[in-house]
Amino acid sequence: MTTHVTVAPERFTLVAYDADQIAEIVRELAAQLGLSNPMAVEVDEKTPLSKMSAVVDGTSSDDTITLRLQSGALEDTKHLTNFSEDHARRSLGRVMLRARDRLRPDFADAPDDLALTNAQNAAWDAYCAGRLERLGLNPVQQRYRYDFRNRFGFSDEIDTVFDQLWAADDLGWHDLPTLP
Amino acid sequence: MRQFFPVEDLARDDRFVQTNMAERMADTRTAVDLKKTAKSRGASNRLTPDRHDASDAARSLMHGIMVGEIQALEGAGRTAHDFDAGDGSEGTIPFELKLDMARQAWDEARHVEISAKLSDWMGTEIGQFQENTVLFEAACSNDPVLRLAGVNRALEGLAIDVFTQMKEFGQLAGDPFLEFCEDWMLADEVTHVKMGSDWLRRVTENDPDRRAKALEFQQVVDKLFSFGGARGESEESPIGLARRFRELAGFTDDEVDTIAGMDHDALEERKAAVRLAQETAGV
Repeated sequence: MTTHVTVAPERFTLVAYDADQIAEIVRELAAQLGLSNPMAVEVDEKTPLSKMSAVVDGTSSDDTITLRLQSGALEDTKHLTNFSEDHARRSLGRVMLRARDRLRPDFADAPDDLALTNAQNAAWDAYCAGRLERLGLNPVQQRYRYDFRNRFGFSDEIDTVFDQLWAADDLGWHDLPTLP
Repeated sequence: MRQFFPVEDLARDDRFVQTNMAERMADTRTAVDLKKTAKSRGASNRLTPDRHDASDAARSLMHGIMVGEIQALEGAGRTAHDFDAGDGSEGTIPFELKLDMARQAWDEARHVEISAKLSDWMGTEIGQFQENTVLFEAACSNDPVLRLAGVNRALEGLAIDVFTQMKEFGQLAGDPFLEFCEDWMLADEVTHVKMGSDWLRRVTENDPDRRAKALEFQQVVDKLFSFGGARGESEESPIGLARRFRELAGFTDDEVDTIAGMDHDALEERKAAVRLAQETAGV
């Protein structure tokens, strides 16, 4: 079944992005991740930052998932204001994995994306990026390791926690590491 | 060997994509809150680890530092080579100034290596971000005194601000390598600015017009290097102005105040331009 996807804005003016291309990538990722929920993608083209969030209306497969991304999350960093398909796949894949996690009962306690602490974000991102690597989307592990160290500390013990997180496939919200 | 090298001919492999200030400023998106004025209070844009996008912003800045170091190496190397040894007049430079430029090139080469390794440590690939060639453009003047003003005082002055910010970032985040490396490079940059300040004064000792022209050129370059207010004393600017280290490097309080004023103007001009562009685009 093809996932219903809408993208806003339908036409971009500050960046050279194509709404149909974004929708197609979301549909492909949804198929890869086993997500059949309707998806509403909202891109804020006024900012070059790259914050993302997912809002899930409920836990059934009929509930709409809203993905909100700042334009930097989809951008080609070698050619600013241009679209990067690889970057978009990795960003959208990560935020869609979060949305899929939120459909699980053991993620019911997770705060809204925009209410997460920096440490919670880094831990969940590492968990998502590890799974993206196994899906063949090639996230740069060192990038996520550095983010994780920035939030949890620069030590061998923290690196071990990161490695476990990166290799994990079936965690609940309370399995993610927290700051002491 | 060829002298006076244009920016278009800089040697780069295919990992690098270059851009310039005109292209950079044509991007009408902004991370700054356009409703805020310079006097209003609110969330800071300073590049500190508590920003939600701290690692991404630090990676981008570190890549900018690395390509900046490459261009500073090229600039100092060109100045050592492009001018004959002499008394400083008629397109010559004192031999001791050539030696200082050679020493600076050696320092910059080491900084390139350090920055490349730091980028790797932070999860960045070389060439991942575009390279703004504005730094080398400040090193293309036919007058060596203008190069001292543009490169040693404006560019290396910017490096002092950036390294101070990154050193604090490393300190706050607990990143031992980042803090240590930035501290060492910062010490070199203070020396480079001091060399520029001293040589500019000595070479133009009996030529006040030439000195005035050089300082005027420095102001133009300083405003460019504010990158639309990305560097400045306002909390809206990600990179602060490192007053103490600039003082150590030979900047007077008045000079730093002037730079702070230009940074402020650049930020407000950038915000006005972006606001207009976004209103015109209807977003």
